Amino acid sequence: MNRFPLLLTGIFLALPLQAQEDEFQTVITPAFSPVTWERLVNAESEPENWMMYSGTLDSQRYSRLDQINTDNVTELEMKWSYQIPVIDRAETVPTVVDGIMFITEAPSNLTAVDARTGRVYWRYDHELPEDLRICCGRNNRGVAILGETLFMSTLDAHLVAIDARTGNVLWDVEVADYEAGYSKTAAPLIVKDKVVTGIAGGEFGIRGFIDAYDPVTGELEWRTYAIPGPGEPGNDSWSGDSWKTGGAATWITGSYDPDLNLIYWGTGNPGPDWNGDVRLGDNLYSDSALALNGDTGEIAWHFQFTPHDVHDYDSIQVPILADIEYQGSTRKVMMWANRNAFFYTIDRETGEFLEGEAYASQTWAQGLDPNGRPIRVPGMAPTYEGILVSPPIVGATNWYSPGYSQQTGLFYVTSFDGEQEFFKRDEDYEEGERFTGGGGRYNQPMDAFHSSIRAINPATAEIEWEFPIMPRSSAGITTTAGGIVFTGSADGYFFALDAASGEELWHISLGARVHAAPMTFAVDGQQFVTIASGNVVYTFGLKDN
Amino acid sequence: MGNLTTRLGRLATVALSGLFLATSGSLAEDAGNLYNTNFDINAGLRYFERQCSRCHGFDAKGNDETGAPDLTGRLTRASTEVGIFNIIRTGIPGTAMLPVASDLPDAQVWQLVAYIGSLSTNPANINLSGSLTNGASLFTNKGDCNSCHMIDGQGGRQGPDLSRVGERRSPEELLSDMLNPHADVAPRWWTIRVTDKSGLVREGLRMNEDSFSVRIIDDDANLWSYPKNQIASFERVEESTMPSYTQTLSDSEVDDLVAYLFSLRKEN
Repeated sequence: MNRFPLLLTGIFLALPLQAQEDEFQTVITPAFSPVTWERLVNAESEPENWMMYSGTLDSQRYSRLDQINTDNVTELEMKWSYQIPVIDRAETVPTVVDGIMFITEAPSNLTAVDARTGRVYWRYDHELPEDLRICCGRNNRGVAILGETLFMSTLDAHLVAIDARTGNVLWDVEVADYEAGYSKTAAPLIVKDKVVTGIAGGEFGIRGFIDAYDPVTGELEWRTYAIPGPGEPGNDSWSGDSWKTGGAATWITGSYDPDLNLIYWGTGNPGPDWNGDVRLGDNLYSDSALALNGDTGEIAWHFQFTPHDVHDYDSIQVPILADIEYQGSTRKVMMWANRNAFFYTIDRETGEFLEGEAYASQTWAQGLDPNGRPIRVPGMAPTYEGILVSPPIVGATNWYSPGYSQQTGLFYVTSFDGEQEFFKRDEDYEEGERFTGGGGRYNQPMDAFHSSIRAINPATAEIEWEFPIMPRSSAGITTTAGGIVFTGSADGYFFALDAASGEELWHISLGARVHAAPMTFAVDGQQFVTIASGNVVYTFGLKDN
Repeated sequence: MGNLTTRLGRLATVALSGLFLATSGSLAEDAGNLYNTNFDINAGLRYFERQCSRCHGFDAKGNDETGAPDLTGRLTRASTEVGIFNIIRTGIPGTAMLPVASDLPDAQVWQLVAYIGSLSTNPANINLSGSLTNGASLFTNKGDCNSCHMIDGQGGRQGPDLSRVGERRSPEELLSDMLNPHADVAPRWWTIRVTDKSGLVREGLRMNEDSFSVRIIDDDANLWSYPKNQIASFERVEESTMPSYTQTLSDSEVDDLVAYLFSLRKEN
C-alpha cells in the first residue's frame, strides 16, 4: 500500500513548484489510529478531532480549540469546499479523526476526504430501493465511529458498518421494514461496546424504538420500544390498540453519561400527528426524554414534555448534558429547548424537573406546572376547519443541534416565532402509508415571522440575549473556547457571534440554506471550522500569514 | 433498464387502452383524465392532504425548505394532465419527489391530477363580462397602471410585471388586488425605510432582505444594498404602494381591467 505514494514522492519532489510540494504533502499525512471507547469518553481532550455527531458524549458541541477566537474570527477565509455530487440538501455534520473527514450525503452515501484539502479518499454509495417511504426529504446527518469502523443509518432503515480506511462494507443489517414506513436518517451513538441507534417514520404509524447493535457482527443486542407493550407501565396511556401505530420515532442522536451509565434519547410525536381522537391518553413515551441503562437499554426514567400531543411537537432534540451551579450546589442536568417552545432544565440522575419557561412564541399552553407538565390552553387542538396555533408544525426549534458553552454557562438554540393553521382529518391506518390525520397551513409569508439565536441561562431558564435572523433557520450551533458561537441561517449565511454578548463578529454568504450544524477540528496545528450549505461542505480557517 | 421499463409501460398502455383505467403502475400517454368530477377532485384532495401535503403544504403552495414547488399556479415540470400523471406515477429521479406506491390504481392518480388541476384556473372555463379592449386602454390611460407595471417590456418598475398575471391570479384575486391592495401584499412589495448613520433616510420597495443585509429599489429605480450593521435603523412598511381603484374607476371599468389582466398569458 505504501510503495506507490513513496514512488510518487520522488517524482513530485523533483518538480520545482512549491505549490505542488505542498499539495503533495497531504497525500502521505494522516496516521489514522483506531477510535477506542476511551478516546470517545475523553473526546473533549482531543479537540483536534470531532469524533461523533455532537462532538462529545454530553453533546455540548463545545470545542476547546481557541486558535480562532473573538479577536481574529474576522480573519477567517475559505480553505476548501467539497461539492456533494448528489443534488439535495445536506444535513451532514462531518466527523474528523486524525486528519480524515467523513461526510454523509443524501440520500444515504458516505465519503472520506482529506480534512485539510477536501480531496476524496473513498466513497460509498448505498443502494436504495425505488419505493422508499420517507416523510421529509432524503437526509442523512452523520456517522458514528468505533475502532476503524464507521456506522451509518440509511433511508431504507438499514444500519451499515463501513471500513474507515477503504469504504468497504463490513456488514449491512435491516433495522426495520422500510415498506412499513420505517427509515433512518440520524447518526448512531457509540456507547461502550455497542452501536446505539434510533428510527424514523413517525408519519407512517410505526412503533418507535431505540436499538443497540454489536459493532463487530451487527447483531441486535437490545431493543427498547418508545411505546410500552401490553402489560408494561404506560401502555394504558393509549386507548385501544392505538399504541401499535403510535409513532414515537427516535430520529435524532442522543447523549450518554459514562458516570451514570445512562443514555438520553428524545422521542417524536404520537401518531397520527394531528388527530388525537383515536389515541386518547398521554401516549407515553411519545414527545419524551428517555433515560436508558447503558448496558441493557432498560428505561431508568422518562420525562414527557408534551402529553397527548396533537401538534407534532416532537421531542427530537439533542439532549445537552452539563454539571451546572443550581440554587447553591452543583447539579447534573440535562438541558432541552423543545419543539413545543418551552426550555427545560432537568436533573439527569432522576428526571426531576428543575426549571422551565417558554423561550419562543407559543399559544398552546398557559405555562408549566411544578412538575414541568404543560397547562394547556383549552380549544387549541386542530379542527376540521383549521385553528391558528403557535408554534407551527415545524416548531419553535426542531432536530437541529443546540449548543452549550463551558465558558459562559449558556445554552444556545435556533428559535422560530411562528404560527400556523392546524387541520384535523380522519384517516385509517394502512401499513406503509402516511398516517398523520391532518396538516398545517401558513397564513402569512415566512418573512412576516421572526427567528433568533437565543442564549438561555439553564439555572433560571431566562433568555440572556438574542440575535435576530431571517426565518426560519434549521442550522445547528457549535461553541468554542475561542468565545464564539458558530451557526448558520435559512438565507445562506454562516456566521460567528460573541458567546457572551450575542454580538455579531463575522459572517459570510454561502448562498444556500444551512440545514446542518457546524463543527470544528484541527490538522497540523491549524484550526478549521466546517459547515454544509446547500449541496456543499465548506471549510474555513484563519488566513495564512 | 429505465428506458426499457418506460417503453414496456407505453406498450402496455397502448395494448390495454380499453382497460387502461383498471390497471395500475403504468405511465399515461394521451388517454386524458376521465376522473375529473367534483367527487374525483375531492378524492384527490383527500389523497393530497394525506400523502403530499407534508412537502407541498396543506394549501399546495409549496415549501422553500423542502424544495417542494407551489402547485397552485403554472407548473414548471409538466404542462399537461398526462405530464402531471407521469410525475406522480414515477416521481422525479434524484429528488425528494418519490413515486406514489406502485400498487396505487391509476384511477386514484387521475383523481390527484384532477385535484391539482382544480388548484389553477382554466381560462377556458371562465367567461368574463368585461371588455379586453377597454381594459387594455384603461391600463395605459385612465388607470395609469403602466406607470408602475410592465407588460411585455413596456411600463414602470414599481409593481409586479403583469405580462403573465393571468396564469397566477384568478379573476376574483385580480378584483381584490385592485379594490383592496393592502390585503395580501407579498414581502417583495413591502416598503423599507432605511436611516443611515448620518440620519439620511432612503425609502424603496423591498427587493430582498436577509439576516445581515437589505436591498431596495427607490422611486427613481436606483438599486441600494445596505449591510444591516452599517445603518442606524430600518423600518418595514408591510403595505402596498398601489392605490385602491374603488373611487377612481367604475365597476364596469374594473371589470374590463380584470378581463384584460386575466387574458395575459404566455400563449397570448
